[in-house]
Amino acid sequence: MPVMRVKFGPQHPISGHLCLALDVDGDVVVNIEPDIGYTHRGLEKIAENRNYVQAVPPLERANIVDSVHMVLGYVEAVEELMGVEVPERAKFIRVIMAEMSRIASHLYWLCLMAVAVGLETMLMWPINDRELLLDLFEMYTGARITHSFFIPGGVRRDLPQGFKEQTFRALSYLEQRLGDYDRMLYQSYTFKIRTQGVGKLKPQEAIKLGLVGPSIRGSGVKVDVRKDEPYAAYDQLEFTVPTGKVGDSYDRSVVRLREMEQSISLIRQALERLPSGPIKAPAPSSAPKGETYSRVESARGELGYYLVGDGTTRPYRLKISSPSFRNLPAMGYLSKNVPFADIPVILWSLDLWPLDMDR
Amino acid sequence: MTLSPVAKAKETYTLLKDKILNWGRAWSLWSVHLCTGCCSPELMAVSCSRFDAERFGTLPFPSLRQCDLLFVLGVVSEKMAKRVKLIYDQMPDPKYVIALGDCAISGGLWWDSYCVVQGIDKVVPVDVYVPGCPPRPEAFIQGIMMLQKKIQGKEV
Ligand code: SF4
Repeated sequence: MPVMRVKFGPQHPISGHLCLALDVDGDVVVNIEPDIGYTHRGLEKIAENRNYVQAVPPLERANIVDSVHMVLGYVEAVEELMGVEVPERAKFIRVIMAEMSRIASHLYWLCLMAVAVGLETMLMWPINDRELLLDLFEMYTGARITHSFFIPGGVRRDLPQGFKEQTFRALSYLEQRLGDYDRMLYQSYTFKIRTQGVGKLKPQEAIKLGLVGPSIRGSGVKVDVRKDEPYAAYDQLEFTVPTGKVGDSYDRSVVRLREMEQSISLIRQALERLPSGPIKAPAPSSAPKGETYSRVESARGELGYYLVGDGTTRPYRLKISSPSFRNLPAMGYLSKNVPFADIPVILWSLDLWPLDMDR
Repeated sequence: MTLSPVAKAKETYTLLKDKILNWGRAWSLWSVHLCTGCCSPELMAVSCSRFDAERFGTLPFPSLRQCDLLFVLGVVSEKMAKRVKLIYDQMPDPKYVIALGDCAISGGLWWDSYCVVQGIDKVVPVDVYVPGCPPRPEAFIQGIMMLQKKIQGKEV
């Protein structure tokens, strides 16, 4: 049978906005070509036409399920360029928000991963538990997923009354739910048989492909910006970086589950140690001439911002190095001579989110 | 005037046909699973158990040949617009379109972007507009209810 080219996406329940062109020989995929750009919005150029604070809302939409990290990276870069020192309390609030966003993003990923292996119940559970976090976000910022709450110099407003208690309640519930997920999904025969041994990456290969985030940690490489180059208040908090051993889809999934546990403990620590004081430092409206690169560990991996200032109120150049784009080469590498049914599993074990890939 | 039973039945049928058909259509709106922009996480929230759009008969469905509703989920780039048109053309009649999010309505946040279609109604005809960035799940559901009213011929 001749090799046939099939388009997978963008109208497909699993691929989301991503389009992959697959060369299939019967049921076996021989080659894969990502066809990205369906959600390209020209974000970088748009940010260059806004001033530093106005650029926050568009940038946040680059990765809407993990919007806090998208803003955090940008804000850190702007502060570095302007030379603004952020107050301690704002740093802790940033950690709380960022870790909540990481859990929300991983829960979103979890349901898509479960759908990729064909378990529909697990589509409902994590999405419902994610609502808990979205309610917390709403309580604090007034928006479910698009908060625009970090500004150069700190955060917009202080934590509301009762936020701490409600967060603790939500966290203990989530902790128990993570155990449920472990039993329900990770120990299930279907999930194991569909993910173990699928999309195996050795540490050397992963480094060579330039993977970031949980995808590289699944192969046993311990890289985490929160540890390597601490930003916000991560240097004052204790956490471990979970890694996998084999480097297959199952390991990458387990890493994300363990990360959620770490995030829960991080939020608890940050809430308990929350110092008092101001939440905002005055920041100038224009940045001096110069350039900077800042990176944060988003839910999908390292997210970098390259920012050039030219002394005006607008960035001269803004370049985003997004984690999904950096994980994309692995998709092509792993999907050679695999059965067609493994493609969704590999795709979601790398957690490729097309919106921040296209920007 | 007395009608024969057959004629009576015929008259009743013509009266009720549209009503029953529209009732059936309004409560079984199956939507195409097409994500165009960043409003898509809210579709996920809406179709899962907390907000549960299935109460209103709406369910994202993988195959577009059996669908009669197209959600345009937010920003549509020039590249995606061709796909949206293609998908709309492939759907069987009667078909309805709901434009979700400011971007799908008028370009929204990306009003000065070089690659974003400023309003999806330039590409496909739209029945209901739901504003918001992204629209809350409640707004989502309100949009579905408005479409149902429209289909049933009531005033919206
Ligand atoms: S309306 Fe807002 S959330 Fe929706 S696609 Fe546009 S920018 Fe994204």
